[in-house]
Amino acid sequence: MKQSTKKVLFYVTGLALILGLFYASLSIGIVHLHQSIFSLIGKSTIDANAVWGIRFPRALGAAVIGAGLGIAGVIAQGIFRNPLAEPTLIGLSSGATLGTICLIASGASVYGTRSNIMAAVLASALTALLVQWLAPSNGFGFLLTGIAVSAILTAVAGLLIAISAKPGIQSITFWNFGSLTLLNNSTVSMVSPYMEVGIITSFFVSRRMDIYSLGDHSSHYLGVNPRRLRLIATIGMAFLVGASVSAVGSIAFLGLLVPHIARLLIGPEHRRMLSFSALLGSIVLLMADLLARTLFVPHEIPLGLLTSLLGAPTLIVLLRVRKASWVQND
Amino acid sequence: MINVKNLFFSRGDNHIFSDFTFDLCPAELVLLTGANGAGKSTLVQLIGGILKPNSGQIQIDNQDISKLSAKQQSLLRSVAPQRRSFFLAFTVNDVINLVPKGQRVEYLDFILDTLDLKELLARKITELSIGQQERVSLALALHQQAPYYLLDEPFSAQDSRATENILLVIEFLKINKKGVLVISHNQDALEKNCDRQITLA
Repeated sequence: MKQSTKKVLFYVTGLALILGLFYASLSIGIVHLHQSIFSLIGKSTIDANAVWGIRFPRALGAAVIGAGLGIAGVIAQGIFRNPLAEPTLIGLSSGATLGTICLIASGASVYGTRSNIMAAVLASALTALLVQWLAPSNGFGFLLTGIAVSAILTAVAGLLIAISAKPGIQSITFWNFGSLTLLNNSTVSMVSPYMEVGIITSFFVSRRMDIYSLGDHSSHYLGVNPRRLRLIATIGMAFLVGASVSAVGSIAFLGLLVPHIARLLIGPEHRRMLSFSALLGSIVLLMADLLARTLFVPHEIPLGLLTSLLGAPTLIVLLRVRKASWVQND
Repeated sequence: MINVKNLFFSRGDNHIFSDFTFDLCPAELVLLTGANGAGKSTLVQLIGGILKPNSGQIQIDNQDISKLSAKQQSLLRSVAPQRRSFFLAFTVNDVINLVPKGQRVEYLDFILDTLDLKELLARKITELSIGQQERVSLALALHQQAPYYLLDEPFSAQDSRATENILLVIEFLKINKKGVLVISHNQDALEKNCDRQITLA
């Protein structure tokens, strides 16, 4: 089959999967529906409320946040030119978590408010800048500093959760493994604009990310200022990761796995990687959430466990079937 | 013209350039030689805008490069560095077309032909030999439209046939009124063709 036909096929399959999963997410749940979801449009029965008030925002949130995290993962790996980089590693998630929790614990705001999301995005960006400022300039120094700062912030956040008596602070499990339980129409509509800004920013820098992959010097010689690109991309990631963490906690592995799967399927070009990773991220998160809330009813499984269980085997299989596109960066 | 005037540059206690002056004119081919560590690549990085001089002036066509953005500098000169990190599995064609549209030369076909890259266009850059990667890297730099070209060791991993071909391309640049600075240890190849040879001590 021709390469281009194959790629179109991947996109079409991806879109079909999203639609299918979306339909399933609306139809399946604890409340058993007596009619198709389409006949519930515009109604206000118990069934209709379960579908439009609870399941719909949750599915929409999963699609948007999944897309955003997939994209943030692509940008992180591109910026660090490192296949192990992900937004979590450079402190973006832990910064966002701590920012949100501080606000909740101090009583300044509660979960799912405008100010809370904004604080998370801001804390996320500030953490990334702090890591950049603290880190030595050589390659691995940056990631290692990020990991260390992350560890500190996560610990402080955990401490705050442990000692705070505020009812809305949520559990450590919520923040560290993620859950879409609390998504409703109002949180989704508040988070989405941030995700859009982050996604647009990422596409805006995608062409320059390709050039940047050749190294800082080559990048400069070809007219792309590497430091400025890193700054813009980092702020884009902060919007994506900060907003999603404030609403659903940090979701493990998604940002690491999705870009690898995308790269193996459609190649390394960033613009294509971004759109395909957005699709894949949505699929993985929709699937994970559907399973999280239906597998062991009435228990809900922490989301991060499922993204790992779904994503990791897929990656292992793909790595064996297709040739890895990363070479050693000696 | 590229003017380097009264350049001072040091790394720690090592004074690499003390009051160094250098010119490169359009349609001029200059060979830059010197022992390891004499500052050949450093000079390319200074003119290329990666390193900042301690003092002195670097101008390209009367514009002080320290006042120009990366984009503006890229319109004035193109650089083939000694190494690039090819770590994403782009095809050779993808890599060569990383040059932004509107900044590309129209004679790419000639370059690819002469450098024996036509057959490699669909191959992944990560699967090529060092010599092949070096030629792709050179082709990428030559695809970028600019009045001046700075080539850092373009022959280092090439056999005699490929070296001849690169010389042809350099000759072609000269005919097209480009100013070319070549760093090379392979002096035999360029000595008779170049207009001037500068040896850094």
